[in-house]
Amino acid sequence: MSENAKNAVQRAMIYCRARITKDEPLRYISHLDYASMMQRAIRRAKIPAAYSEGFNPHMKLSFASALSVGVTSNAEYMDLELARPMEEHAIGESLRPALPEGVRLIALRVMAGKPKALMSLTDEAVYEITVPLCGAFSDAQKVLEDFNATKECTFLRKTPKKTREIEVRQYLCGNLYAEAAEDDLLRLVMAIRITPGGSVKPQEILALLCERFSLLVHAETALVHRSALLCNGQDLLSAGGAKP
Amino acid sequence: MVSLTPDLLQAVTKPARYTGHEWNSSGKCHADVSCTFAFSMPDVYEVGMSNLGLKILYEILNRRDDTAAERVYAPWVDMEAEMRKRGLPLFSLETRTPVREFDFLGFSLQYEMIYTNVLNMLDLAGIPLLASERGEGEPFVVGGGPCVYNVEPVADFFDLFVIGEGEEVLGELVSLFVAWKREGRPGGRKEFLRRAVGISGIYVPSLYAPRYDAAGDFCGMERLDEAAPAVVYKRLMRDMDEAGTMEKPVVPYIDIVHDRIMLELFRGCSRGCRFCQAGMAYRPVRERSKERLRSLARKMADVTGYDEMSLTSLSSADYSCLDGLVDDLMEDFAGEQVSFSLPSLRIDSFSIGLADRMQQVRKSGLTFAPEAGTQRMRDVINKGVTEENLLQAVSAAFEKGWKSVKLYFMLGLPTETDEDIIGIARLAKKVVDRYQEIKGKRGAKVTISVSCFVPKAFTPFQWAAQDSLEEFERKQHLLKENIRDRSIQFNYHDARVSRLEGVLARGDRRLSKVIFEAWKRGAKFDGWSDQFHEEYWLDAFEALGVVPEYYNGREREKEEKFPWEHTSPGVSRAFLWTERERSLRGELTPDCRRGRCTGCAVCPTLDARVIDREARS
Repeated sequence: MSENAKNAVQRAMIYCRARITKDEPLRYISHLDYASMMQRAIRRAKIPAAYSEGFNPHMKLSFASALSVGVTSNAEYMDLELARPMEEHAIGESLRPALPEGVRLIALRVMAGKPKALMSLTDEAVYEITVPLCGAFSDAQKVLEDFNATKECTFLRKTPKKTREIEVRQYLCGNLYAEAAEDDLLRLVMAIRITPGGSVKPQEILALLCERFSLLVHAETALVHRSALLCNGQDLLSAGGAKP
Repeated sequence: MVSLTPDLLQAVTKPARYTGHEWNSSGKCHADVSCTFAFSMPDVYEVGMSNLGLKILYEILNRRDDTAAERVYAPWVDMEAEMRKRGLPLFSLETRTPVREFDFLGFSLQYEMIYTNVLNMLDLAGIPLLASERGEGEPFVVGGGPCVYNVEPVADFFDLFVIGEGEEVLGELVSLFVAWKREGRPGGRKEFLRRAVGISGIYVPSLYAPRYDAAGDFCGMERLDEAAPAVVYKRLMRDMDEAGTMEKPVVPYIDIVHDRIMLELFRGCSRGCRFCQAGMAYRPVRERSKERLRSLARKMADVTGYDEMSLTSLSSADYSCLDGLVDDLMEDFAGEQVSFSLPSLRIDSFSIGLADRMQQVRKSGLTFAPEAGTQRMRDVINKGVTEENLLQAVSAAFEKGWKSVKLYFMLGLPTETDEDIIGIARLAKKVVDRYQEIKGKRGAKVTISVSCFVPKAFTPFQWAAQDSLEEFERKQHLLKENIRDRSIQFNYHDARVSRLEGVLARGDRRLSKVIFEAWKRGAKFDGWSDQFHEEYWLDAFEALGVVPEYYNGREREKEEKFPWEHTSPGVSRAFLWTERERSLRGELTPDCRRGRCTGCAVCPTLDARVIDREARS
């Protein structure tokens, strides 16, 4: 039996799924940097993480959906494979003090057996955009009504390489909602479908509302926050557990 | 507190350079302390955060209850433009306090090409650039780092300099400040600076005036105050086990240049390479004990979560207990997926064996520094390495499975001939061929990285002329023509930058005006090839009537007075001259740590001694 095969047999097949946050102090770090931050926190916490084989072993840690620079979140999910069993509460107790300001551990679950990958489970994300209003709140509401009345709506996605037209309504679960917040702020809430064929970014929806529907806001100071990541409308923590 | 709005942070690249909050960073309330100290390296975050000296001093000062130490680095050009547009002053990372509100602003001067960034940062902070124009209540601007061994070109911009190792002296400076402040700041900043020269290792340039003779040559430093010592000798830690050090390094969120734990094995190197300022300036060798290093390694890994550790020193493979230390670390970190690296490999098979043991986890490339292409040239610079040493080392490496090797060389060394340059290409080719002999196939990747030699103060080559720009470029071309194997990649430095470095490295106080003028014309980030504009400097020299060749292109007389000798690492001029003479005869000088004393005078002058742990046990 090869060395790798032996190790595969010896793998404990115990996984820990956690819901964590990316708060204000970490708003401007990238997804990759967020992942290395978490690996270092796990090492500080002395949680027995499993590592891959080979010349460049890496911690077996995976995330649900990458978050862009500038976006905060209450709904980050990660799966960590453990090299040996550890109690749920013990993991939490070790991890919490090792997390930097800007990450909170909300919930955690230990699963026996390899769960379905978070990335493939995730089918919906809910975002809140907070942005200063230039006009009246009622004008903004009217814009949303107009938008919500459309069946199809296209957006020009410009990347350094090419410009592509995408239809955004197919990626929205239902309508956009708006509420007035303190200090002349507008809070926009949107549920976005994440599909194998693609998705749309919350910032793109905002840009579209400004460009096509004349929403009057200071878009350059918009703050984006992810409030949920779901699978069939369920929290990812309870979705796609262990295979029988 | 400076407010960083989302539209600002979203307009710049890598905003996390400016947002702080890193793990292990400090953040004391300024109202609770008597002294605030902003530490800076005048380069971008990723470079500044990689500096070991600043990490050590940051921790040492923050251990004091009466002091808050914070960090500030040079904003990249996009952030600088936004800050200027919005009228935001330079601020600290921890509490976003404007830097001009600190009591001290300390700059680590790692290389000459970063001087204009100091000016730019002072300007962004709203602090007068010239020390003479700073008022009461403005920070004392402090300089430290390797450039202090010729600090005159930037003397006008600093209130004081720390010469040598800062672990103790900074604390003494802070205590002096706290006492002066408690007394009600008698006599103002002038009085504080007068008191500061009472601390060994502190140089206050405003208490000295350089004198020039009728021909315009430097002829001596006049002391303007009797309190100022004629020569400020460097401070040093006599025992590295006792010295306060880094135990809880800040862990950045973004990738920095050296993104790993740095475990400092020892200070100093006495191999005596004649081009090397560090080798002359950081003497004597002082090793940490294996036990101390082992406990520091454990502690730092636990509090950072890093999975990489670099065993750093000027020449790490020379650490007397390295074999045992590596065994211990391997045992201590077994199963923890920590990778270790030696940044500087000695050219022998012992080093390869070690590197092989240490890189059980990850196998990166190997780097060696033969420095010159022929034996004659290596003897001139006292690099006691033979071609056979190098070929044995690479053979061992290829046998262990390495494929890529990087070799460092210099062009423009004193007495260099075209034969020495072609020798670099020949040596690289021999390395490529050696791979084929061992492996029976091609496949080696050999990178030769060739810099342009810059003569530095306090080295045996401090009297030497630097090659002209034309000569450097001719030599680069000659070398390129002689490299015919496609497995060899040739990297070389911009000779224009090295020439300018050559001016600043042995310049005098008259250059302060040139640096100011170049900055005014737009010079900053001169060490970054995409930001370097030679014309700002050429125009500045011309506008002020300063001839750069006076500083870099001239062979100096034996008895010529140098404007750097009043801030001294303790190595004697007589020793340096003897080394120069031996160099011209191609004579080697052995390492003093085990053998005979070579008479550099550092130990008796500074009351220090070599600490070699193996010799002691």
